Amino acid sequence: MILKKLSELQKLIDNKPVKRLVLAAAHDSQSLGAVLKAAANKIIKPVLIGDEKEIRKLALEGNYDLEGIQIIDEPDIEKTSEMAVKIANKREADILMKGKVGTSTLLKHVLNKQWGLRTGNLLSHIALFEVKTYHKLIAVTDVAMNIAPNLQEKISIVNNSVACLNMLGIEMPKVAVLGAVEMVNESMQATLDAALLSKMNQRDQIKNCLIDGPLAFDNAISLDSAIKKGIRSEVAGDTDLLLMPDIEVGNVLYKSLVFFARAKVAALILGASVPIVLTSRSDSEQAKYDSILLAAATVK
Amino acid sequence: MITSLDQLADIVKNKKDKPKLAVTWAQDENTLGAVGKAVRENMIEAYLYGNRSMIEKTSLKLGLDIDLFNIQHVDNEVEAAEETVGLVKSGEADILMKGLIGTDKFLKAVLDKENGLMKPKAVLSYVCAVDVPDYHKLLFITDTAVLPFPDLDQKVAMAEYAIEMAVKFGIQKPKVALIGASEKMSKHFQNAVDYAIMCKMAERGQISPCIMDGPLDIFLACDKKSAEIKGVDTPVAGDADILIFPSLEACNPFYKGLMLFGKGELAGMLMGTEVPVVLMSRSESEKSKFFCIALSCLMVEKNN
Repeated sequence: MILKKLSELQKLIDNKPVKRLVLAAAHDSQSLGAVLKAAANKIIKPVLIGDEKEIRKLALEGNYDLEGIQIIDEPDIEKTSEMAVKIANKREADILMKGKVGTSTLLKHVLNKQWGLRTGNLLSHIALFEVKTYHKLIAVTDVAMNIAPNLQEKISIVNNSVACLNMLGIEMPKVAVLGAVEMVNESMQATLDAALLSKMNQRDQIKNCLIDGPLAFDNAISLDSAIKKGIRSEVAGDTDLLLMPDIEVGNVLYKSLVFFARAKVAALILGASVPIVLTSRSDSEQAKYDSILLAAATVK
Repeated sequence: MITSLDQLADIVKNKKDKPKLAVTWAQDENTLGAVGKAVRENMIEAYLYGNRSMIEKTSLKLGLDIDLFNIQHVDNEVEAAEETVGLVKSGEADILMKGLIGTDKFLKAVLDKENGLMKPKAVLSYVCAVDVPDYHKLLFITDTAVLPFPDLDQKVAMAEYAIEMAVKFGIQKPKVALIGASEKMSKHFQNAVDYAIMCKMAERGQISPCIMDGPLDIFLACDKKSAEIKGVDTPVAGDADILIFPSLEACNPFYKGLMLFGKGELAGMLMGTEVPVVLMSRSESEKSKFFCIALSCLMVEKNN
């Protein structure tokens, strides 16, 4: 399947049971707005945990209807995270979302050994972009969680991301392992890891995707550029997933896509027992809404 | 395309400009036997540097006419090494061959930074072309003799040398198998890691011309059925031209096994030098020794 717009994610959840989303520290205007809008569109059925008085005030200001929405009054932010994670742990919610709580606080509870959402997999971040200048949606990982992943961590990040893209109906996502160059260079670890990942994929040690790398950004997304460089690659120019060498490159690419290319984005944390919507304050309400949509489409 | 070592020997005979072979400390039966045969078969001109009376004595014993050789008397093996390397360096000889001199003294002269024969920054390695009746083509293997535990750069050099040799035999795009115990990529096996990196280098044209895959075991590399049974998707699948081994201790017993149990013959030489250097073990068969000289004659020819 080829998805061109984030709004097409809607097709994937039509005629499926409405997913339950729990929002930790729901007294946050942007995330509350996105959640209530998604609820109104029947994408999710939310549980809001937070300062009820504040939630009602924000809903009134934003002109949102709280009719029939479950609210658990808990003004203590730390406790909202714990409760939200426990709800997801008991499978009473399909999606966890971060509201007005720090990322580290929420993740601390997600990683709790007794009642957290661990699966044994590494947690990783995926961002799915709709860019006008590319012929389909393109995912980028990891721009927010793993700082300088080693080979083993890169394998986990790819596996997380591929499972997510498979859920979206992209059966054999094409994965470009990015480097500064498309040649193998012993002084550039990213190019060496890329070669190893390619070989593991060839030997079926990383499945359900097609990996090539190192590829420079231009060869990864432009067939023309790959041809000019004489690169023969099934991935070049048709990439579904860009694997970043580290968070610095990833984060800068993410932000340049948003700010320079005016790309739309949806993002998730993968690797936990439920998808986690963990957008940052600087993300637009639309990004938050699209992230909820992405989460709903990837619920197992 | 040259598909057997007999054919190799035929091709390099009777050339108009016969290569000049300089032999270092050439007075033992092994060396003189092979060199004498190559001269008789009109393959080379031989320049023997050694003890004249010893050379004459050995020739007589082998029934070789002394006029087959150009003999230069030298007092000792170190002098012989310096003289012969110098001769090749100045262009008066085209090929260098080790005689009775110790390998360490011989290589010292070859590797000498100022007066030696190494190409700039090159790795010294040894490549063999092996002819075994039970394999459907010639097999180029490396490194049987020089590099004990090649690192990535050295493995790349080994592959490049073997490719260079295979191309000389007329194989336009040799299939290179990087040999391991299994086909899986594991970061715990440095060879597997090196191999994965090399495959990508080959894919990107950084090692060429070739089709490369590895790690592969010998079965996957040289036996088509195994590749089918195992279901491993490899472009080499049972049709390897070149086998790159992870270590000398893996490669050396492999080739000796082929010689002894597989009734194979070989032609081998040092690579990384400015001119072909023939260096063979005394235990090789007469035929293989002759093929080593034939190989050097092929490799000395300039590419058109």
